[in-house]
Amino acid sequence: MDIRNEVVAILDEVLSLKGRASGFSLDTPLLGAIPELDSMAVVALITNLEERFGLVVEDDEIDGSVFASLATLIDFVRGKLAA
Amino acid sequence: MDLQAFFLPASPGQRFALLQAPDALTKARAAVVQVHPFAEEMNKSRRMAALQARAMAAAGYAVLQIDLLGCGDSSGDFGEATWEAWLTDVELACAWLQQQTAAPLWLWGQRTGCLLANEAANRMQRPVNLLFWQPVVSGRQFLQQFLRLKIAAELIGGESKGAMERMRHQLQRGESIEVAGYRLSPALADGLEKSELLLPHRSGRVEWIEVSSRPDAQLSPAAAARLTQWQAAGQQVRGSAVSGPAFWQTSEISECPTLLAASLAALSEARAA
Repeated sequence: MDIRNEVVAILDEVLSLKGRASGFSLDTPLLGAIPELDSMAVVALITNLEERFGLVVEDDEIDGSVFASLATLIDFVRGKLAA
Repeated sequence: MDLQAFFLPASPGQRFALLQAPDALTKARAAVVQVHPFAEEMNKSRRMAALQARAMAAAGYAVLQIDLLGCGDSSGDFGEATWEAWLTDVELACAWLQQQTAAPLWLWGQRTGCLLANEAANRMQRPVNLLFWQPVVSGRQFLQQFLRLKIAAELIGGESKGAMERMRHQLQRGESIEVAGYRLSPALADGLEKSELLLPHRSGRVEWIEVSSRPDAQLSPAAAARLTQWQAAGQQVRGSAVSGPAFWQTSEISECPTLLAASLAALSEARAA
């Protein structure tokens, strides 16, 4: 499973970016930089990551830093999958 | 084609129902009862459900859609709904449709509607086939996701754990909570939380369809694992994935034509098998 591609696809879909996410690099900032990523979109993003990867995210594992950039988000998913 | 909108007497009140069927109802290829998803997902899915019901009826199936207690145009407020009442509504819809036609019964669930369809099927005295759209496999996880809608702001600040615990305590004390404009009763939260998509006992076939945004759509790893278990236990089950938008949650109402086609194919192939 290619985690990066999967995460980019989920971002693109949840935020309705119409393909813009495929141009993101690892250090592309997310939270605070992409207007579509508001607090409700963060919730939708977590839901999609959970359902797609079969993860369970505990609420104390999450804060804004997870959504700082594409790299931090991918690291979070990698860490959950390895746990 | 026949289209009837009516109220089905229920307890309490009545349920809004919509029947779409071929003119000769007794000759229907199958009888399909739709079980809608939860809260806002129901509204987002309404268009797709309507398109699918119409397409099924045109292909010779009798399709009954009902709004569960406290949803859509049925009696009651969302806050009065309980998981048990919804199961009773599903059974009521099945019983009504089976009085109209002796065709084989399908329960067509969407998201948490799959949990309800599966539980209702297990309670029935005769085999029933199941068509699942993007099933929720764990009511517990779904409830957690739903509650998160209320604490989205705290989530980013890393303060969501305390907020989540406060909501759970409120439910445990028997108080309703309001999430995203829906009043959630302790009885509904409790039933949802305990519900899990377990191996069906009495089902005929299970057709499990997921939607993925990727052009090379594949079943999610979570679904693939469960389907493998069910197959190993002897359940007739087939999983497939189609490409399209997650219409039950996209911010604008969207359509997924590949899902419509895949669902029709699933019904007709199951019949031939």
